[in-house]
Amino acid sequence: MHQAKQVLIEGLLLLALGGALALAANFISPRGLALTRNYFPGGSRPTLSLAGTQAATAARGTHAITVSPAEIIIARLKAKGLEVVDSNQVVQIFRDPRREQELFIFIDSRAEAHYLEGHVPGAYLFDHYRAENYLATVLPACRTADKILVYCSGGPCEDSEFAAVILSDAGVPKEKLRVYPGGFGEWTTNGLPVETGERNSHLGRPAKP
Amino acid sequence: MNPATPSSLRENALTVATVLARWFLGGFFIYMGLSKALHPVEFLKLVRQYDLVQNHLALNLIAAGLPWLEIFFGLLLLLGVAVRGSALMLVAMLVPFTGIILRRALAVYSAGGIAFCAIKFDCGCGTGEVFICWKLVENSLLILLSLALLFWRSRALCWRHSLIGSD
Repeated sequence: MHQAKQVLIEGLLLLALGGALALAANFISPRGLALTRNYFPGGSRPTLSLAGTQAATAARGTHAITVSPAEIIIARLKAKGLEVVDSNQVVQIFRDPRREQELFIFIDSRAEAHYLEGHVPGAYLFDHYRAENYLATVLPACRTADKILVYCSGGPCEDSEFAAVILSDAGVPKEKLRVYPGGFGEWTTNGLPVETGERNSHLGRPAKP
Repeated sequence: MNPATPSSLRENALTVATVLARWFLGGFFIYMGLSKALHPVEFLKLVRQYDLVQNHLALNLIAAGLPWLEIFFGLLLLLGVAVRGSALMLVAMLVPFTGIILRRALAVYSAGGIAFCAIKFDCGCGTGEVFICWKLVENSLLILLSLALLFWRSRALCWRHSLIGSD
């Protein structure tokens, strides 16, 4: 009994010490999280991203209705007042001459590593988890643009939604913002052009015929 | 020279097993902890998927602290410092976490209509997407090994087996 008590006290002491060291390590680490920051603004519930199940089933009354994760995301975006664009609309925006004039801009809300591997040509990088690194570049572009299209990987990815909310909170009018739920996954599947490396590097591959 | 008795052989085997279990668990948790600590945003997203806490500060604390705690306990086990206290904390972390994975897997099973052992997702354990059946077996083994370190008393190759009381 005495031994069990000793082990318990030892464990709790280690937990306190380990907890303090863990917070210090997070603080020192350049990749550490800002503890007080809400990384998921807008108060939405997480969307399950589960391989092996392509759909969530919701029961309403006696009927079982199958709702795809994409439909759940679209409904949630609309509930937040964010306009959604589909693959046809996104191509129209991309081919519009106003994109060349930076009146229509694309915002890539994925992590930098994914962005460098490939993004929509001319898209701005805005990893909202490190918003402070990108806002100085992205906000002026958003202010002068008429239409801002935000995307992430597609599928159950919610980063475009959070990025749009952060931009809206930073003063970008919601009317300008569009979210493309199909994301970069759908973009590449449709054989649309991809730019690699930095923005406007003009490297990458053209659209597939 | 004294001949080896069955009891001394058993004791030696237990000593070797204790050292190996300690090193294995220590190395495993350092690896798992580092894989999360180096990608905290990815881990944060995965922790959020479990919908455990609503408060963002609590969520950030879990995502920021847990990987480093794993590294801390892993290092202690590897060095043989406060072995039983560390093992107890690992059990305290592993048991609820395994329960949470099981709960999520059961939710998928009841909604998805697929075989339980075909369910696969990234549980935030540091190994990417895994079959949940296998993950539950793996976690059960880790719990058993941690429990073994709690009850086996061997102090072989330990720097300081206990911090409290006589070492």
